Amino acid sequence: MAQALARHWGALVIFGVAALVPVVVRDAYFLDSLVLILLWGALSAAWNVAGGYAGQVSIGHAAFFGIGAYSAALLGTRWHQSPWLGMLAGVLVSLAAGAALGYLSNRLKGPYFALSTIAFSQVLLIVASRWRGLTSGSEGIPVPFRPGFGTLGLGHVAWVYLALAVAVLYWGIQVWLEHSRFGYRLAGVREDEDAAEALGIPTRRLKVIAVTLSAALTSMCGTLWAQYVGFVDPFYVFSVDLSVRFALNAIIGGIGTALGPFLGSILITSLETYLRATLSGVKSGFTGIYLIVYGTGLILVVRFIPDGLAGLVGRLRAHLARVHA
Amino acid sequence: MSVAAPGPALLTLEAVTKRFGGLTAVRDVSVEVRRGDLLGIIGPNGAGKTTLFNVISGYYRPDAGRIVFEGRDVGGRAPHLICRLGLTRTFQIVKPFGNLSVLDNVMIGALTRLPSVAAARAEAGRVIETCGLASHVAARARTLPIGLRKRLEVARALATRPRLLLLDEVMAGLNPTELTGIMDLIRRLHADGLTLIVIEHIMAAMMRLAQRIVVLHHGEKIAEGRPDEITRDRRVVDAYLGEEFVLAEA
Repeated sequence: MAQALARHWGALVIFGVAALVPVVVRDAYFLDSLVLILLWGALSAAWNVAGGYAGQVSIGHAAFFGIGAYSAALLGTRWHQSPWLGMLAGVLVSLAAGAALGYLSNRLKGPYFALSTIAFSQVLLIVASRWRGLTSGSEGIPVPFRPGFGTLGLGHVAWVYLALAVAVLYWGIQVWLEHSRFGYRLAGVREDEDAAEALGIPTRRLKVIAVTLSAALTSMCGTLWAQYVGFVDPFYVFSVDLSVRFALNAIIGGIGTALGPFLGSILITSLETYLRATLSGVKSGFTGIYLIVYGTGLILVVRFIPDGLAGLVGRLRAHLARVHA
Repeated sequence: MSVAAPGPALLTLEAVTKRFGGLTAVRDVSVEVRRGDLLGIIGPNGAGKTTLFNVISGYYRPDAGRIVFEGRDVGGRAPHLICRLGLTRTFQIVKPFGNLSVLDNVMIGALTRLPSVAAARAEAGRVIETCGLASHVAARARTLPIGLRKRLEVARALATRPRLLLLDEVMAGLNPTELTGIMDLIRRLHADGLTLIVIEHIMAAMMRLAQRIVVLHHGEKIAEGRPDEITRDRRVVDAYLGEEFVLAEA
């Protein structure tokens, strides 16, 4: 128990603080940022299952995010179903789509896999923006706010705890990947597929499972995000920008670590919120500056801390331990 | 070619052929490996030795011929299935899981037979001990020098509990001390009942280690026999060993 606490102190601090914030803070703007930090963190954690733990670096995960968003929005607005049902539908579709993508792109490695995922999300973007009869095309779908837990019409405080629950769940799935038979064998696949095969690991099956799981987790958060924000725009939910965001949070925070995606999300989301608020007034010419910050941040991380913020924290700890010893 | 038969056939290659486009990398190779054998494969660069390993272990599908392991035709089956049947290999260019510890590397091999992580970790510890890597359990695989990485390659394969192990040049690039160490290891494994096929370029080592040697040249088997028979074989001397080797041995 004490050992587990020592190992996961970072997660304990982050999720503990997130749980306490709504008790003391009532500022809607601040709570809104917290919900987004947790949701983006969870989404990067979902991406990390495939990109970090299985080494299947996708730049098309917006596809699954969009599937989740559209499933709930469509079922809700056209057939008046609960978003929870929409979430389930989205997860089922994403399971199928993830398995198909994983299976079809199985022989593709590295950049070729990434390219195939981009293509996949772009196909869905075209479908969603052109199939006007079903999706209202590029106009998007406004998601009506209907108060209640069943309709996900929640206040800010409730949203914080819902997003926190999802974040902790996703973090737990990653921790499981670090300690389970499945996770160890997946690490073998990530490190060297040929060697993993020689050791009796069904590499193709494991990769498909990882991509499929990652897709389903992404889709769940897509539903939550759409219900939270209240609008589904095909050019946003299926965008490459969004896919890159999932990947970047995880890479900056520490790819293949359980806490990394959340550290990355804290840094990037708060920085972005701040920069948008201070620099992108109507008259200022800084509308897109957060993109520059993104790029600069990525370059700095790759150059100076390739194992991300999580790796940096680990090294600082080791350094302090040496100093105190 | 009167070699004492140690046991029943474990692996039988029947006229195995592998082509790449117009090039025939392995042509009509037939070999029988019996339980308890320590078979060596030699031949000049490009003779098809590694290609033959790739065909046996499932990385390439043979274009013709049969590969029978313990009575089953395994030709063209996926490597992980062949490993589960009890046949695995190491790689000439070592493929460690670089970011993982030595213990985790070997444990991933052990997980193929064991469902529990704790049991696999314990087994990995024993295999690491056997392979002389005990003082490096926590080291990241990529930080090991080549000699230890070759040992790790063997340890990881052993953890899958093979009955037949293919070693692809585990001695290449080692210094004399490391060489003696790994030869001792191979002898011990063999004495414990493991059947091995060994590809090696270092003839002196091969002569002392192998009970029987198969010589490949341009993808074809040109000779098979005891080491002393091989060194006297005219075709082998012409194709591979050269006159100097024979004179030096004499």
